[in-house]
Amino acid sequence: MLVKDYMLRHPVTIEPTKRAVEARRIMTEQGIDFLPVVGDGRQLQGLITPSCLEISPERLASLDVWEITRYLSNLTVARVMVKREALHYTHPETTLEDAASLMIRHKIGGLPVVEGKDLVVVGMITNADLLTELRNILGAVEPGWRLTIRVPGNHGELVQLTREISERGWSIMAMGNVRAVRAPEHWDIVLKIWGCTREELLAVVEKNPTQELLDLRETTYVTR
Amino acid sequence: MRETSHSKQPVVRVEELAIGYATRQGLVRAVRDVSFEIRRGETLGIVGESGCGKSTVAYGLVNYLGKNGRIVHGDIIFQGQSLVGRSPEELRRLRGDQISMVYQDPMTSLNPVMPIGAQMAEVLTVHRKMAQDEARRRCLAMLTKVAMPDPEAVLARYPHQISGGQQQRVVIAMALLNDPALLIMDEPTTALDVTVEAAVLDLVVQLRKEFDTAILFISHNLGVVARVCDRVAVMYAGEVVELAPVREIFANPRHPYTQGLIRCVPKIAHTKGESVLYPIPGRVPAPDSLPAGCTFEPRCQYAIEACHQQRVALAPLSPSHASRCIRSHEIDAQAWLPPDVEVPSLTAVTSGATDGPVLQVKALNTYYKQGGGGILGLTKRPPVRAVDGVSFSVARGVTLGIVGESGCGKSTLIKTVIGLEERTAGTIELMGVDIGKLSRRSLATIREMQMVFQNPDATLNPSYAVGQQIARPLRRLAGVPKAQVRAEVIKLLRAVKLDEYYYDRLPRQLSGGEKQRIGIARALAGQPDVILCDEPVSALDVSVQAAVLNLLGELQQANQMTMLFIAHDLSVVRTITDYVAVMYLGRIVEIGPSSAIYAPPFHPYTESLLAAVPVPDPTVKQAHIRLGGTPPSPANPPSGCRFHTRCPRRSLLPAGGNICTEEEPPWRDVASDHQIACHLTLEQLAAIEPVFSFGKEE
Repeated sequence: MLVKDYMLRHPVTIEPTKRAVEARRIMTEQGIDFLPVVGDGRQLQGLITPSCLEISPERLASLDVWEITRYLSNLTVARVMVKREALHYTHPETTLEDAASLMIRHKIGGLPVVEGKDLVVVGMITNADLLTELRNILGAVEPGWRLTIRVPGNHGELVQLTREISERGWSIMAMGNVRAVRAPEHWDIVLKIWGCTREELLAVVEKNPTQELLDLRETTYVTR
Repeated sequence: MRETSHSKQPVVRVEELAIGYATRQGLVRAVRDVSFEIRRGETLGIVGESGCGKSTVAYGLVNYLGKNGRIVHGDIIFQGQSLVGRSPEELRRLRGDQISMVYQDPMTSLNPVMPIGAQMAEVLTVHRKMAQDEARRRCLAMLTKVAMPDPEAVLARYPHQISGGQQQRVVIAMALLNDPALLIMDEPTTALDVTVEAAVLDLVVQLRKEFDTAILFISHNLGVVARVCDRVAVMYAGEVVELAPVREIFANPRHPYTQGLIRCVPKIAHTKGESVLYPIPGRVPAPDSLPAGCTFEPRCQYAIEACHQQRVALAPLSPSHASRCIRSHEIDAQAWLPPDVEVPSLTAVTSGATDGPVLQVKALNTYYKQGGGGILGLTKRPPVRAVDGVSFSVARGVTLGIVGESGCGKSTLIKTVIGLEERTAGTIELMGVDIGKLSRRSLATIREMQMVFQNPDATLNPSYAVGQQIARPLRRLAGVPKAQVRAEVIKLLRAVKLDEYYYDRLPRQLSGGEKQRIGIARALAGQPDVILCDEPVSALDVSVQAAVLNLLGELQQANQMTMLFIAHDLSVVRTITDYVAVMYLGRIVEIGPSSAIYAPPFHPYTESLLAAVPVPDPTVKQAHIRLGGTPPSPANPPSGCRFHTRCPRRSLLPAGGNICTEEEPPWRDVASDHQIACHLTLEQLAAIEPVFSFGKEE
């Protein structure tokens, strides 16, 4: 689960000499929030985000329509973009969690993915891609029983449960586990299990008194 | 497949594109009203006969239209920006390294005087200003990705030192080095052997997934398109006539032209007699003389008065399926009835039912001498054993197909039989009499054997009218009196379904299919007993190919001729032949009835050939067997079984198939007329899974 597996390859890009109006048109038409600015050989120069295109009235000399048009036609991508020096970017071989940390820390929604010393743009990763990954880890695209249990943080707790499941020939379609926020000694585990009935599954969970059932629901939908 | 949230905006969108060429007759619109889009990781196939504008569209995308060509209407939006009406410098920057192209012939894209490593690295050092050693490392990685054997050594070689399939891999690797968003492939496998083609197509499918590249794949071969494409656009006379997902196109074609194309492709599932090919009548109109209404109307059997009156627009039938026909919703491919035209029904012939062999070849060898090797050229080099110990016999009225990869000796074999090559050893008997050396052959022997060549352009004299060219063998071989020659020529023209007025035409005034008919008429002039065909249909479009195949089969059946038929397309071979001989490195490895060799037990080489055939039906499942490596040199064939170096079934024998490297394989008799040369027993061969399973949806 690296950036290269989830990034958007061949992102739409723009050159720094183009007008900002053009950048805005592309972003609206393509439905994107991040437009990498590249020079020759697709080297990263900057990034256009929606906030780059917000022009406050005080930057205009007047609100005369001719004046606005003149101002806009002189406004190039290079003048409005976030410059390379101020930009955060990531690499294809970075882990998703590292990319996510970078985005959380700097409160940004998207990172250009670059390769090599000269920062050749090979992709774009956004928070939507990370959410997709979260959804896939939790198995939202697979049908089955979505089981949430809380287990003590002891060695072997998870092994025991998975053994019980596999012995019965059921499948684990997805799994996520996280240290319980309000009970630091415990772990919350979400499992997507397929091939059993609700009663059968409950019987297995109840066999082990240390496991606390938090939630159980059936998911039949497949989001495609 | 994993779901991602990426926007479904296409990489390239073509809108109402029209491309025109300025000619002396004025502007000729070769492409009109073409619209499509390709998304990331999607392959759009464009199919159609020659002259339908497939390549023009591709060249339009990259603006290689030549001096007189230009985009006259419409727009091409690539990654959000229009490519039309920009200066060459702007275009270069905009397209930059984001569009790559792979052409039919790999040698046209490779520099013959530069090592492969240097040419590949140039792509990176020039476009990306990458350092030499980094560029080299990347080239190596990319060659490994395209499954190039021994990539390190290949970097140091020159293009002529590697095989055609490897050259095409290098070209594909080079095209992908810059990680393009759009890859245009113009008939990338047409020049390759069927086994190599299969491997290259596998590569295209795998790379598209890995690189998320949008691919525009142009091909005339429906089987190839069925294997690699997600969606297909069928082009006819410069227009897209149908656009649909690949399964939809083959399962439920809605345009009469698409239906016609699918009907005239030979099906691998059908043997001779089971299948009937229905050619599409007429030919593609020239761009400057289009019919007034629907462009397909003159050739369409569903045409009604309304079709004749106005142009038809591409109309959606469902969100993903569009067709350019006003009757699309009512015409059903399944309910199609054959037209009234005569289509021959061929019946399979077996040797047993007829009397003795017409043509018998025994232990035939044809060797080519090689020039001396060593410093002074004094060292003797072994001869190239193009045909090495081939024996077979063919009865009257029987068609024997010969198949195998390039260089297996199939052409040499029939050239030796007809006398274009001198045999080294062995006998060739025509009706029990050895035909002897070419120089001593009687006129009667020459008359009895005639040949149809692959390329009609190269075998017709361009400065003589076709009538005269057919008249010559009539006078020389059949001894027709001068006064009757013209009448006889016209009779022959009629026999090959051409009109009387073709008599005075010159070859350049004819289409490819018509030229091939003339070639057949010329071969028939002397009323031969044996007719040899060397790939007679491989240079022709599918609809023409169907007509020529029907013609050949019909004439052969009517005149009770014996036919040897070479083709690399196994579906074609199965449709027209009664028996098939599979050749590998100068030897026949399997010979048997066409109905039998397409199912186990078969020779492992036959199996690999069958697994490589592109089948124009996405519902047919095919075993995945790919031959590794290139065929060994016939100058120095491997010991034992010649196929042992590439055989995928050798491991079935004890001790890893040691016997294959040491002993020549024995002939195993499956039936009285079906033999396989293999160390594996018949039981083992019969236990192999069939290559094709004709299931429905998976």
